[in-house]
Amino acid sequence: MRAYILTFLLTISLSVSAWADLLVIVHANNPVSMLERKQVVDIFMGRATAFPTQQPAHTLDVTNSSDLRAIFYKNLTGKNEAQVDAYWATLVFAGRMSPPEKLPDEAAVIKAVKNNPAAIGYVTRQNLPAGVKVVMELPTP
Amino acid sequence: MGWYRNFLTGFSLALTCDVALADEQHITNRFSGFATIGAVTNDNPDLVFRRDISQRNGSIDGDVDWRTDSLLGLQLQTQWSYQFETTAQLVLKDRIDNTLNESVEWAFARYRPVDGLDLRVGRLGSDIFMLSDYRQVGYALPWIRPPEDTYGKISFYHFDGVDTNKRFNIGDGTLNIKAFYGKSDQEYPVGIEESDNYRLSFKGFGTSINWEKNEWKLRYSYADVEIRNNNDNLLVPALNSVSMLWPQAAELAKDFYTKSKYIKYHELGLGYDNNSWWIQTEVTLLNSDAKVVSNSHTAYLSFGKRIDAFTLYTIAGFTRTNEDATNVIAPSGYPEPIEQQLQALAYGTELGINGGRADQHSYCVGARWDFTSKMALKLQVQRFYIDKYGDSLWLKSDNTLTPKDRTANVVSVSWDLLF
Repeated sequence: MRAYILTFLLTISLSVSAWADLLVIVHANNPVSMLERKQVVDIFMGRATAFPTQQPAHTLDVTNSSDLRAIFYKNLTGKNEAQVDAYWATLVFAGRMSPPEKLPDEAAVIKAVKNNPAAIGYVTRQNLPAGVKVVMELPTP
Repeated sequence: MGWYRNFLTGFSLALTCDVALADEQHITNRFSGFATIGAVTNDNPDLVFRRDISQRNGSIDGDVDWRTDSLLGLQLQTQWSYQFETTAQLVLKDRIDNTLNESVEWAFARYRPVDGLDLRVGRLGSDIFMLSDYRQVGYALPWIRPPEDTYGKISFYHFDGVDTNKRFNIGDGTLNIKAFYGKSDQEYPVGIEESDNYRLSFKGFGTSINWEKNEWKLRYSYADVEIRNNNDNLLVPALNSVSMLWPQAAELAKDFYTKSKYIKYHELGLGYDNNSWWIQTEVTLLNSDAKVVSNSHTAYLSFGKRIDAFTLYTIAGFTRTNEDATNVIAPSGYPEPIEQQLQALAYGTELGINGGRADQHSYCVGARWDFTSKMALKLQVQRFYIDKYGDSLWLKSDNTLTPKDRTANVVSVSWDLLF
């Protein structure tokens, strides 16, 4: 019985930590199969506008009100949302870069990635539909 | 079979291109903006506090002024394709000339043939400071306004011309090299409240080199500018008319000429930010053969500490003129009222020639509170020490002020937002 409870607790804690991981996703036909952390940072922080293959990258964000955006940037760059917004303001209002497209939720991100070979977005760990593939896993504590 | 495989590869490549092209034909418009509502008070009774030398209003003698920092910025970015984008930004604020032409901060087209190479043409931001092309975006600044000792003097916000930027990825770092060429003009008050304005036209080129790696940012910029016009200064004909009585007067008149004079400018900046602590410092050096644009150097050092939604910060800065102030002595031995008139002219000439000098230092402490998404409240307290003959960053209340060392305490609050 004790072993059973232990296994149960272990399973719960494992699945919780697994759920907390984030996935960076692109269109299934995107020739990129894997991205380094630095490459993802460059794309989401407006330093690069294309994948390493030189194919244009169209970044997708979820709206500010969701925790997902805060967790993604905190784990990717160490910055909180206010810092990320201030950083993007320096690029956008200097006319250097266009910000990521804002979508309301994860379902909209998955749909947009499925429909656009240039898209790149992030979602929580989950079973993804065909037409979408993972290029980086971002562990979250 | 080789040709068949090649054909297939070619065919699938063409298909990929088609999909990409279809996506590129999707035109997107992005409307965004920024705003600041700010209030400033300055306790000095003789000098008007201002953000930069293009402003002709501000706080004096304990007044509260809303015009120094308050502004509204509106921007429309239209992406026509991956390669081609247009941007227009309008900034509404208190300025001498509030025509639409002056209010258009940027209006340019950008062409990006490949990732990492940008070519832009139109009205562009001048990249000669660490914060130069976003210094009006309060939310993007850690402070209420850029450090005045360095940023107060050069008020170029934009120029009409071209620039190109190339990015290089070097290891974990990113290097950006930019070159620009263009023309600009700017209207300034003469340095005394309620006085006339003058306009200077500039033509120039320059470069900036930015290197970023992890927490570090290092940059250098250089600008080489030519002044294209002279201003009607009443002192010039007055000095020329008395050259029979005062032989040096004609030489002094030449000190007011600005046409074809150069300004050479160097800037070095360093930033560090580990998301908990940040440090930023900049040093600038300005040389000119125009007497009214004084040779000078400036520097500031600022650091801050983030604690949850709060940031506490401090700044220390100075600006120094490299040469001594000019003393103008009228010839004596003439009967009245001639002697008195020459003395008045000498006094006015001395004020005019020294009018571009900025010699001051300052200390600042402040706090920023990111109380909700895309909004910040800030409070900062500053003390300025302004030297005799070094008050050109300020507006004088009138031109009979006795030249002397002065101090000013400035307290500012602001509410910055993005939308």
